[in-house]
Amino acid sequence: MPDRSAPPPPWTRTLARFRWPLFVAFTCLLPFLLTDVWVQMLVFVALFIVLGLGLNVVVGFAGLLDLGYVAFFAAGAYTMGLLTSPGSPIDAGLDFWLILPIGILIASIVGLLLGLPVLPLRGDYLAIVTLGFGEIIRLFLINRDDLTRGSQGLSAIPRPDLFGYRIDSFTEWFYFVVAAAVVVGFCTSRLRDSRIGRAWEAIREDEDVAAAMGVNTTKYKLLAFASGAAIGGLGGVIYAAFIGFISPAAFSLQVSIDVLAIVIIGGMGSTPGVILGSLILIGVPRILQFRETSDFLANLGWLRDALNGLISALDAATPGSLGRLPPAETWGAQLADDTRFIIFGALLVIIMVVRPSGLWPSSRRRLEFAHDDTPPPAPVTAP
Amino acid sequence: MPLLEVRDLRAGYGAILAVKGISLHVEEGEIVTLIGSNGAGKSTTLRAISGVIRPRSGQVTFDGRRIDRLPPHAIVRLGLSHVPEGRGIFHSLSVYENLLMGAYTRGDALHQDLERVYRLFPRLQERLRQPGGTLSGGEQQMLAIGRALMARPRLLLLDEPSMGLSPVLVETIFETIQAIRREGATVLLVEQNALMALEIADRAYVLESGEITLAGTGAELARDDSVRRAYLGEA
Repeated sequence: MPDRSAPPPPWTRTLARFRWPLFVAFTCLLPFLLTDVWVQMLVFVALFIVLGLGLNVVVGFAGLLDLGYVAFFAAGAYTMGLLTSPGSPIDAGLDFWLILPIGILIASIVGLLLGLPVLPLRGDYLAIVTLGFGEIIRLFLINRDDLTRGSQGLSAIPRPDLFGYRIDSFTEWFYFVVAAAVVVGFCTSRLRDSRIGRAWEAIREDEDVAAAMGVNTTKYKLLAFASGAAIGGLGGVIYAAFIGFISPAAFSLQVSIDVLAIVIIGGMGSTPGVILGSLILIGVPRILQFRETSDFLANLGWLRDALNGLISALDAATPGSLGRLPPAETWGAQLADDTRFIIFGALLVIIMVVRPSGLWPSSRRRLEFAHDDTPPPAPVTAP
Repeated sequence: MPLLEVRDLRAGYGAILAVKGISLHVEEGEIVTLIGSNGAGKSTTLRAISGVIRPRSGQVTFDGRRIDRLPPHAIVRLGLSHVPEGRGIFHSLSVYENLLMGAYTRGDALHQDLERVYRLFPRLQERLRQPGGTLSGGEQQMLAIGRALMARPRLLLLDEPSMGLSPVLVETIFETIQAIRREGATVLLVEQNALMALEIADRAYVLESGEITLAGTGAELARDDSVRRAYLGEA
């Protein structure tokens, strides 16, 4: 056990106390510092932070492995799409702010629909059933084309107005989605520290013992599914309004995997973890696509020369088997393109090997992992 | 009327029937012990009583009320606490939070109950902020019992409290069980350490392959030849 009794210096305490307001203030400065493509990228990052926070309730707090989270995201998005797209058979032209609670409600009902049949399932079995559930929702969206227009999707979904002002530019969307993420983050961290959160924690550790303590496990598991789904629905409504066009292709298994990876890479049960996870899983692949990235790589002439030297040396050993790198003007773009997924995949593998409990694990999880590794609590000595 | 009455209880897991129709009763204020070898069905009996598993058939009556179809959280509310085998400490929660979990069903002031737990187990008070998973085996057992007491149970089900503990700690735990009884709780104790269990028990049952084969006062069973041979290690 590290010695936690020594009081930290006063300035760290002040910093720790205001870390969230400071972080949000810094975030609000970002649109002034970055170009539009970066801000657009950050809108997606913020949206996936919302989704990550929602799945974190289910997986991180209550320990229910849900591989079908996209279903709730889709429920929210299609609520928005069906009620506002001119192509929808039930287009009601409703206002975004009216649809927001409807979408959240419908998503939580879908969450309960998933939660009820899987109540007796645990671990792997739960994961498989939820995986199937996500696919069922996607196939439903494709096949009920009389309602959803199938693969054609729903287009021209209007953007929301706020106080008579249309949320339009990437910067405006950035502030809007960040605000949503702040609200959701506040709610979930309050939930975690409440009586409900403690019940989830107990269920996650040992469902039988939690029941023996008097926790109504049925109720709290359903509550976890419904809260997670509600947040997924909120994300879906916002996504549909932002993108303006939705089709079943956008709600594939990949979304569930991305959101789950955000939670796991960041550190299960941890709010800062979700933020870091989303920056890496959603931000990095997009950054690798940017022109700036190729330009940056193209300027690394020494790297190109070094690689060419290596290739020549290898070529001398086995003549004619290797080509040469493309000319300096194009090699940056090509390198970024060719290696984007390798860089990304390698990054994820490295993170999980180096930090199995996530980049920023919650303090509780950290203890749990430390305990698993070393059964007797070994004293930690400062390096 | 006994505080707990079990009639013809059958329970098990999947295709396996671990408890094959047993009947027993516990009077208010008693310490009753259930002894038997590994796999005799002792833990299954406790789990079926506290509702963690659903009995296949039979009746369980607690304080005059049928509880064999109730979910575990409803049974806790009636005043029956179960300390599971292996203690079931929440490793990532602190000692204090573990104790609070024990009082989950109650909304009223807890400090009296906390005081009581600290009095019984001063060690726990020294380690309130420490995560449950970092406690030693003996401390975890104290925490498990303390946590169960937080629900203010009228009947405490204890599953193998001596498991994995040093003889000195076993002594302490058994003394505490007697102290808890003196304060008015009733105890149903499952033990492999038959010698110690029979010493403090008013009455005892011997469980073999899911059936009760012997019953009597603790002293009677401790004198019984077959019990001495089978469980007390005498030739």
